[in-house]
Amino acid sequence: MTMSRLGAQPTEVIDRTAKLRFRWNGKRFDGFEGDTIASALAAAGEHVFSRSMKYHRPRGILTADYWDPNLLVQVGDDPNVRAGHRLLEAGMDVRPQNVWPSLHRDIKAANGLFGRFLTAGFYYKTFMRPAWLWPTYERVLATFAPGGKIDLDTPHRYHDKRYMHPDVVVAGAGPAGIEAALAAAAAGARVLLVEHEHAVGGHLRYSSSDSARAALAELRAALDASDVEVLTNSTVTGRYEDNWLGIVQRNHPIAVERLIKARAKVLVAAPGLIERPYVFSGNDRPGVITSGAARRLINLWGVKPGERAVVFTANSDGDAAAADLDRVGVEIAAIIDGRDQKRVSSAEGSSRALQAVVAGGNRIEADLLVVAAGWTAPTSLLNMAGDRPVHDPAAARFFPSDPPGNVLATGGLAGDGRIDELRAHGAATGRLAAQRAAAVAHRLQALTARARPVEGNEPAWAPDERTPLGRDPHPELYRSDTHGMVDLSEDVGSKDLVAAAREGYDSVELAKRYTTATMGPSQGKLETVNTVAAIAEARGETIAQVGTTVWRPPYAPLTLGALAGRVFEPVRVSSIHPWHEANGVSTILAGQWIRPDHYGDPAAEVRNVRTNVGLIDVTPLGKLDLRGPDIPKLLNLLYTNKWSKLPVGKVRYGMMCAEDGVVLDDGVTGRLAEDHYLMTTTSSGAGSVWEWVENWLQTERPDWKVHVTPVTTAYVSINVAGPKARELVGRVTEGVDLSPEAFPYMEVRLATVAGVAGCFMWRIGFTGELSFEIHAPSGHGLHVWEALMDAGQDLGVGPFGLEGQRIMRLEKGHFIVGQDTDGLTLGPSTGLGPLIKLDKDDFAGKPELAWAADRSLPMIVAIQTDDPNVVPEEAAQIVRGNTNEILGRITSARMSPTLGRSICLGQVEPELAAGGTKVTVLLASGERISATVMDHHAHFDPAGERLRG
Amino acid sequence: MAESPAFESPVVRSYEFSSGGPLMLTDASPTTKWLVRGEVGGAAAERLDAPFGSSRDAGGGALVLGSRPGEWIVLGPADAVASVVAGLDGLDSSEFLTALDWTHGRALFLVTGTDAPRMLEKVCSLDWSDAMTPDGAVASASVAKVTCDIARHDDDGTPAYMIFCDRSFGQYLFDALIDAGNEFGLSVGPAGP
Amino acid sequence: MLLVPCPNCGPRNSADLRYGGESHARPDPATATPQQWRGYLYLRDNPAGWLRENWYCRSGCRRWFALERNTATNEFRNPPAPGDKRGGKA
Repeated sequence: MTMSRLGAQPTEVIDRTAKLRFRWNGKRFDGFEGDTIASALAAAGEHVFSRSMKYHRPRGILTADYWDPNLLVQVGDDPNVRAGHRLLEAGMDVRPQNVWPSLHRDIKAANGLFGRFLTAGFYYKTFMRPAWLWPTYERVLATFAPGGKIDLDTPHRYHDKRYMHPDVVVAGAGPAGIEAALAAAAAGARVLLVEHEHAVGGHLRYSSSDSARAALAELRAALDASDVEVLTNSTVTGRYEDNWLGIVQRNHPIAVERLIKARAKVLVAAPGLIERPYVFSGNDRPGVITSGAARRLINLWGVKPGERAVVFTANSDGDAAAADLDRVGVEIAAIIDGRDQKRVSSAEGSSRALQAVVAGGNRIEADLLVVAAGWTAPTSLLNMAGDRPVHDPAAARFFPSDPPGNVLATGGLAGDGRIDELRAHGAATGRLAAQRAAAVAHRLQALTARARPVEGNEPAWAPDERTPLGRDPHPELYRSDTHGMVDLSEDVGSKDLVAAAREGYDSVELAKRYTTATMGPSQGKLETVNTVAAIAEARGETIAQVGTTVWRPPYAPLTLGALAGRVFEPVRVSSIHPWHEANGVSTILAGQWIRPDHYGDPAAEVRNVRTNVGLIDVTPLGKLDLRGPDIPKLLNLLYTNKWSKLPVGKVRYGMMCAEDGVVLDDGVTGRLAEDHYLMTTTSSGAGSVWEWVENWLQTERPDWKVHVTPVTTAYVSINVAGPKARELVGRVTEGVDLSPEAFPYMEVRLATVAGVAGCFMWRIGFTGELSFEIHAPSGHGLHVWEALMDAGQDLGVGPFGLEGQRIMRLEKGHFIVGQDTDGLTLGPSTGLGPLIKLDKDDFAGKPELAWAADRSLPMIVAIQTDDPNVVPEEAAQIVRGNTNEILGRITSARMSPTLGRSICLGQVEPELAAGGTKVTVLLASGERISATVMDHHAHFDPAGERLRG
Repeated sequence: MAESPAFESPVVRSYEFSSGGPLMLTDASPTTKWLVRGEVGGAAAERLDAPFGSSRDAGGGALVLGSRPGEWIVLGPADAVASVVAGLDGLDSSEFLTALDWTHGRALFLVTGTDAPRMLEKVCSLDWSDAMTPDGAVASASVAKVTCDIARHDDDGTPAYMIFCDRSFGQYLFDALIDAGNEFGLSVGPAGP
Repeated sequence: MLLVPCPNCGPRNSADLRYGGESHARPDPATATPQQWRGYLYLRDNPAGWLRENWYCRSGCRRWFALERNTATNEFRNPPAPGDKRGGKA
């Protein structure tokens, strides 16, 4: 085949005054604005664009559009670009993929020589055993696999995301789709018209007939004058529940791609038809193209597809292609009419000197074989809506059966007709869509609290009274009397499918997975029906009997960038965060919180707290404001211990268990006033505990009077810890007597701190030191922190982070829910059995905890390694002697700066829980070390004298 | 509350401010906000007269937002808010009614401009059309993956939205809104209630 | 994405809600046998058809509610009455 640029065509979309220079395969080429990469290369005489996946056969243009399986190229750092669709840009560096060492001398084409061994399931059968060779197989196969190269240094580009709520979305802007959009908009609907190609018009764009050109001009003018929002080079990729649509917009001015999530009231599917290749020997040779490709090349880009053509046609589009070829001076060597039972049997010879062999043996020399064998109805969006299209052998394609009422098909998907008939059907569909959308809109508005009140009654659901489109008869043409390629993307031939059927993979879904037919970049758009036909033939059945695969999202392949969109990763910080950043903090991401981990030396921070005083920002601590007379009842229900008699001014520790008895959360709750409490939760449990509380109050105890408000970030929380904490807090606090007698351990006071009124202060201590935890209104949080820092200079005050706090809590043996407990840790395993009050009437998880009380359970215990310098990994297993029998694990381990030795918490089987028991810890290195279970959880100050001081 | 130290906004980064533009984003976090909770159909509900999903101008610059069934956000100048809240005292002693100052707990941002609905479509899945979210509407939804309360309160015919979120998300959300507004020429207004 | 008919907010994307699973009455903890209690914890009918289930309108009104859904077709029915009369400034 020898392609070349023609003179100006009346329908062409190229601007011959705008020349674009680009590179292909290392050489310089020129094209025009409006060219696709493929059309520019074709005009320059290029005829091989890729090598096929398995056999590395040379491949040229087949369909010259998005679905062309042979036109996947690398553009710069962008792999798998569809050269049949992507518009040419100046300076593009376009390279072939899957070729080695070069496009024209591909060594792997040797596969073609022994291709008969690469049959169905070849990879499964050959590279299965022995399993230990898999890494080698993978390496070898990877060099043979198609696909471009990913540049790991590619800059992050802007992939946008947005939501939309159109009344009607029309997928496909052919004549029917445009009319549907216009009619729906004229009826008052907000309409989004989405076209996969770069311009609206569908098949009218590449038709040279006067009537088609007139219709296209008229439709474009009407669209321009309408309120229809038109997205070209965009695809409705999926339809989900309640008409939730994924739409990828590729023509956005500032974003590389934009993913639109649209809730359409009605979806109109008007994707048109996709021309189906014909299966015969040599049907994948360069020079064999579809009739649509010939017409696109000629009419859109002014490219002459060859010099001497054989046209195999079974329909009017094939006839139109022959007429176009003839008009632009391509010699028509022969027209083989499929409607007269004539068939093309094979294509032989080289790509520049093709021989078409007609069934019966007649050979015709040509450099182009144009095939018009029929259509595939891309029913994907209907499939996704639950429809199961039905095959009509008389028309040789599938038709919709019974899609839901908010999904309407029009255009070629719905039937055949002249342009005016297609347009009339489209317009009727648009009117129906608008009527139904109005009913949906009315209902949504009536049900939505914030919406404007509706007027009148809900419009009736409009009946479908459209005049159906007819169905043109079409011969069933799937495979000729020879075998050829069915799936050009995956190099699967009809022979492979017959073999698969013979091996028992004779259902479509099985054969598809076994042979990988329809699983390549064309995603079944070209090859599904021929796949089904091959299996039907092997089974001696009809296509309708065999059935077809169900098309699932996406309609067209998506980039990962489009799916990721703009990534929303919320992070939260306390009001004190600017101070941390200005003071050398190392942060750690805990859930969504950016928290101070340390300020350079966590061990030094620990020593300072143990000797002087330190401040830690514990704002993420969950805080729930509780108000109402029934709070004691609520606390009794949520916590395992008793809350009926907590006096005003006191705080108490509590553990929450879920209904299965597993530890859910823990924290302290203080009574601020008669009917006002502040509950704290773990930082990670703040959200889930709130929902848990709401669930109890709303569903189980709706008569209780308690209002719960999350105030986690309404207050900053600062823990002031260390022997000099009282001295420091006293310097900035007004109105509270801080003496141990007046304000003892586990009490709470309302205070003014650093001039900020409305602060709560309580004496608790996760670090084991004398501690005052100050909860100050967030809008003054930084001020309070800085005031404490300023006031404590002479006391040696310094900040400490999460790591220091973790070390100190481990020194004290306090467990952390989720770290030292897991999804199976029952309440008593924490060692807090005495806090589980089974004599209460009811509380969450009570029955399980009652039954657990009679059993021996794994226990959380403090453990010290016998070698004080070894810190086991967290999650290191505790095993029996030299066996691998697991008896527990280390849940927390640190080097204690205070004790100068390794300290741990762990969970062990009951038999190991007694103090003094020797256990064996299996380190990640494989080494086994001995360790001892301690009498108390606290490695340091077990009597708790320091914190009560 | 003693007002001695200045209120620290959750938005701590500095921006080039503009006093006008077709699409404006303003940090109004210091605005006084109270959360009132009562009973659906109770005396307070009747007095506040802003059922769930709607809002009402309560005079003196105070707004009452029906933020949830039986829940209201009252915001505006401190004295006007205080007078609305005080007006609920002693309405009906049998009604379980609570109120708390939420000023420090919630960041508040204002988005104003004709393109504001299109900007919000980039960060929130609600339908921002006039029919579904008219002037005066109140809703809660995820905005850039942060749960927010949102109230539409048009500025002399121009669409305007108040967005409330947990204070700790304030800086993140402010930046996410700037990113969403960039393509519409968003400018950042000077902070203030 | 499924539209879930929140009785307070109106139809909302399912991502705005937390799915609370099948509706099961909590047995009386004072008298529940282990079989009854663990049925409440772990056993689900999981029918292909109508199912009464719980939802929490997490991003919206923050109210738990129960309604029926046909798990085969995703139709909803019998939502509870809304917790507030509906508004919208006229």
